[in-house]
Amino acid sequence: MQQLQKIDQGKGYEEISRRGFLKVAGTVVIYIGVGGCPTFDKSSGKFIRSEDLEPNVVASKGYLLVDTKKCQGCVSCMLSCSLVHEGVENLSFSRIQVMQNPFEKYPEDITVGQCRQCISPACVEACPTGALHISKKHGNIRMIDASKCSGCRSCIAACPYEPVRLSFDYEKEHALKCDMCMNAPFWKEQGGVKGKQACVSVCPMGAIMFTGQIPIQKGNMGYEVNLRGKAWEKMGFPTD
Amino acid sequence: MNGYTGKIVRINLTNKKISTIATKDYEQWGGGHGIGSAIFWDLVKDKAISGFDPANVITIMTSPLTGTLAPAGAGRTEVQGIGVQSYPVEWFTRSNLGGRFGAMLKFAGWDGIVIEGRADNPVWIDIRDDNVQIVNAANLWGKDTWQTQEEIWREVRAGGQYEKRTNQKPAVLAIGPSGERLSRIAALIHDAGNAAGQGGFGGVWGSKNLKAVSVMGTGNIKIADPAGLMEARLWAKKHYEKDIQNPERVGKNPDDINGFGGRGPILFWKLPKQSRIQACFGCHSGCRARYGSGKGNESSCMETLVYSTFDAKRHAGIGLRTLSSMFKLFGQKIASEGIYMFMGKQTDASYTATDLLQQYGINAFELGVGLLYLRDLYKKGALGPGKSIACDLPFEKIGELEFIEKLIKMIAYREGIGNDIAEGFVRASKKWGRLDEDLATGMLQFPHWGLPNHYDPRTEVEWGYGTIMGDRDINEHDFNLLFWMPSAAKWMGDRPSVSAEEITEIFSEKMKPYEDDRSMLDFSTGNIYSRSMAKLVAWHRHYTRFWKQSILYCDFRFPDFYNPNTPGKRGLTGEGEQKFFNAVTGKNISFVDGMEIGRKIWNLDNAIWTMQGRHRNMVNFADYVYKVPSLGFNNVFPYYMPGKENGKWEYIQLDGRCIDRNKFEEWKTEFYKLEGWDTETGWPTRNTLESIGLGYVADELDKKGKLGRA
Repeated sequence: MQQLQKIDQGKGYEEISRRGFLKVAGTVVIYIGVGGCPTFDKSSGKFIRSEDLEPNVVASKGYLLVDTKKCQGCVSCMLSCSLVHEGVENLSFSRIQVMQNPFEKYPEDITVGQCRQCISPACVEACPTGALHISKKHGNIRMIDASKCSGCRSCIAACPYEPVRLSFDYEKEHALKCDMCMNAPFWKEQGGVKGKQACVSVCPMGAIMFTGQIPIQKGNMGYEVNLRGKAWEKMGFPTD
Repeated sequence: MNGYTGKIVRINLTNKKISTIATKDYEQWGGGHGIGSAIFWDLVKDKAISGFDPANVITIMTSPLTGTLAPAGAGRTEVQGIGVQSYPVEWFTRSNLGGRFGAMLKFAGWDGIVIEGRADNPVWIDIRDDNVQIVNAANLWGKDTWQTQEEIWREVRAGGQYEKRTNQKPAVLAIGPSGERLSRIAALIHDAGNAAGQGGFGGVWGSKNLKAVSVMGTGNIKIADPAGLMEARLWAKKHYEKDIQNPERVGKNPDDINGFGGRGPILFWKLPKQSRIQACFGCHSGCRARYGSGKGNESSCMETLVYSTFDAKRHAGIGLRTLSSMFKLFGQKIASEGIYMFMGKQTDASYTATDLLQQYGINAFELGVGLLYLRDLYKKGALGPGKSIACDLPFEKIGELEFIEKLIKMIAYREGIGNDIAEGFVRASKKWGRLDEDLATGMLQFPHWGLPNHYDPRTEVEWGYGTIMGDRDINEHDFNLLFWMPSAAKWMGDRPSVSAEEITEIFSEKMKPYEDDRSMLDFSTGNIYSRSMAKLVAWHRHYTRFWKQSILYCDFRFPDFYNPNTPGKRGLTGEGEQKFFNAVTGKNISFVDGMEIGRKIWNLDNAIWTMQGRHRNMVNFADYVYKVPSLGFNNVFPYYMPGKENGKWEYIQLDGRCIDRNKFEEWKTEFYKLEGWDTETGWPTRNTLESIGLGYVADELDKKGKLGRA
C-alpha cells in the first residue's frame, strides 16, 4: 500500500493513507485542474483516479524534491547532471531545469522543473521501442535505455508538464531523462534510489532532497518542499 | 579542445566583417585578460589613440572554466580595451562582470568576442550558437538596460527556434542612455545587477554605436576529466564550504561572508525578509539576492552602498538623531556615524537608486564616491542654485528618491552639471576650476588616475600601490580581510577572531613563489616602502592577472588563504586553483606556473601602457595622499592592519598616516627593480621581456624608442 507523505521540515511528517487521499480527492480536483498531476491523461482530457490504475503500474522508489525558495539559481545542479551523465557541460543535457527571470520578484524569479517519476508515466506509455521503461531492477525508476532509443521524441511530446521533463541530445539523437543517477558514468559514486544523486550532492544550498516516498502534488512544476530551517532563519531569510 | 571552445569571434563594426580567431593561437595566455591583452597588442597598431577612437579594440573573454562546475570560477567574463574613465591618460584597462553571459558565450561555441571599428548607426550583435549577426538597433536605442534586455529576449525567442532546444533566455550585455551619450563613467550591464562598471566601456560602446551583445548558446563544453571535475567540486564543498544547514556556523563577521568559505549576500542595505540568495553561474555561494519587491535584484556590495547611508540618515527618527548628536558631542565620532549605518531607517529609495544606476548604466563606484563630493561642495556653498557651480539639485532632500533620481537622469542625459559629471568627477572638478585644490585637501577622494577611492592608499598600501602601478582601482580584495577582520572586531569592542601573528602566518604560507617572506604583510610605516612590500604588490599583480582575471576565479571567493571552516583554518588556495583548471583542460600546471603566466601578462600590460606614453614621473597619487593624514575608513572608523611593532605582530592602527612622497619614489624604484623594469622610466627591458617570451614586444617598444634600459 503506497503511503503519501507530506514533507515539511518545519512541521514534521504527516502520513496519509491512500484512502485518505481519495477522501480529499474531491477538493483536490480543482487544484489539479490548475496545474497537472501524474494521473492526468493528456490525450483524453480525463483524470485517472488512483484506483483506476493498472495493477502492474508501480510507483518509483525515488523522487527529487526541490525547495525553489531556497534555490540560489546557480544551476550547479544542471552542470553536475550534464557532467556526470554526458561528460560535457550543456544545459540542454541536464535532466533538471532551472529557469530564472532576473527582473522578477521573489519567489517567482526562479522555477525548477525536474522529472516527477510519475505514477502513471505518460512518457513510458508513449515510447514505441520500450527504451523508456520502468526499471524494476532499479527501484522502478522511469529511465531510458539509450541503446533502444530511436530518437522519435514521443516521450517528449507525451510529457504533460511545462517545460517538458525530458531533454534531447540532438547530436546523438536520443532522449535524456532523470534516472536518479543510476547511470552516471562520469561519477565514482553509486547512484539510483539506493545511492546518491549528483544534483543533491552538489547543491550548495541543500535545496534538493531525495525521497523514497511519493510526494504530494503541487501544481505544474516540481514537487515542493520546505527545506529551510534555523540556519536559514538566522541568515535573515524567510522560512515560510 | 577541452574547456576552450577553440574559437573567438572577431567583429568589425565599420565594414561589418565577421571572422574567427583561433583560440589555439592565444592559448598560452590562459584565458580572459591574458588573451585580451595579447589580442589587443596584435590588433591595435597605434596604442596611443583615445578610447573613443573607432580603432579601439574591445575584447570580451571567457576562460576554459567558464560555464563549467568550477566553483566561483564559471560565471565571470573579462572586458578590456582602452578605457575612457582614467585621467589624465585613458589607460588600456579592464573590467569584469558576473552573471551568466560568459557561460552562455561558451555554450554558443565562442571563447570570446573581439569588437573593432564603429557602426554607422546603432546596432546590436546577435549571437545564436554559430550564427553571428550585426542587427539594426533603432528600436533599442534610447531604452534603459533592462528594457533592452527584455526586448532582445522577446526577439530572440520569437519564432520558436529555441523552444525545444533550451529553456534559457539569451544572455545580454547592454548599455543604457548614459553609454549612448558617450559618458566616461558609463557601464555595461547584464541581467539585473551584473556590471562591467569601471573603465567607461559603456561610453566606448556608445562611441561605436553598439547598444548590446546578446548570446544564445545550446552547445557543449568539453571537459578533459569529467569525473575528476565532479570529484573536485565535491572535495571543495566537503572541506572548504560553510555548511549552510548548520546554524552554529552562520554568522555576521567578515570572515563569515568573504572568501571561499563565506556565506550570505554582501549588502549595505537592509535585507528584506522576503528574499533569497542569488548566485552567478556555477557559484557555490551567492553574494547577492533577489527580493519580494523585485527592487534591488542582483546588486551587491558598493552598488548597494551608493545611496543607503543617505537614505537611512534622512529617515532616521528624532531619537536616533539626538543619540547621534550626543555621541558627536562626546567626541564619539564612530558611534555618531555608525548608528545611522546600523540603526537608521532605510526606505525603498536605497533599492530604487541602485536599480536606476543599473538601468541607466552608470558606474556605481564613481557615483557613490562622487556623491560625497557633491554634498561637500554644496555644504561649502560652492555648488547650488545661483552658486559658482550652478545646479538646481534639491540637496535639502538628499536621502529621498527624488534627489538621486534627478541626479542620475541628469548624468545619463548630460543635463546641467550632469554634462560635467558624465565626464567623471575629476574632469568635472577640473572644469569647475577646483581640481588641484580639492585633490590637495582630499575633499575629492579620487587619489589615483582620476578614479575614486576604494580602500585608502595611505593605510591599506597594497591597494593604492597596486592601483597606481597599474591602470585602475584594482578592486582585488585578496588582502582586504587583513583590514576588515581586526577593524570590524575592534569597532564593536571585540577581539579579532584570529591574531595578527596567526593570520600573517596563514596568508604568507600560501603566497608562492614568495612564501617565505612574511614581512610582505607588515603594514607598519617602517615597512611600507620596503622591498618586501614591493614583493607583496608584485605577488598580487601576478596572481590576479592569471588566476582571477584570466582563469576568472571570482574576486569575492578567491584567493582562499584563511578559511574558518577547516581544522587548520587554511583555505584551498595553492591547491584549488589548478585542481579545477587541470580537470577541465587536461593540462597539468602548478599554482606557480600560473603565477609565472600572470607575471608575463603583467609585463605585457606595462608594455601597452608604455606605448600609451607611460613614464614613472606620472605615477603619482593625488596630493592629499601625501599631505593629509588618513581619517580612517569612511573618514570616521579606525583602520587596522597587521604589522610588526617592537618585533611582535600586532594589528596596528594606521589612520593618521600619509604616504611619504620621497619614500614612495624610492619604493617605486624597488618595485621596478623587482619586476626587471627600467628604474628611470618604469618601462620593461629587453632582458626581462625576452626571458618571458616577449621578444617581439621588446622589438615594438624599441621601434618607438620606448624600450627600458637594463
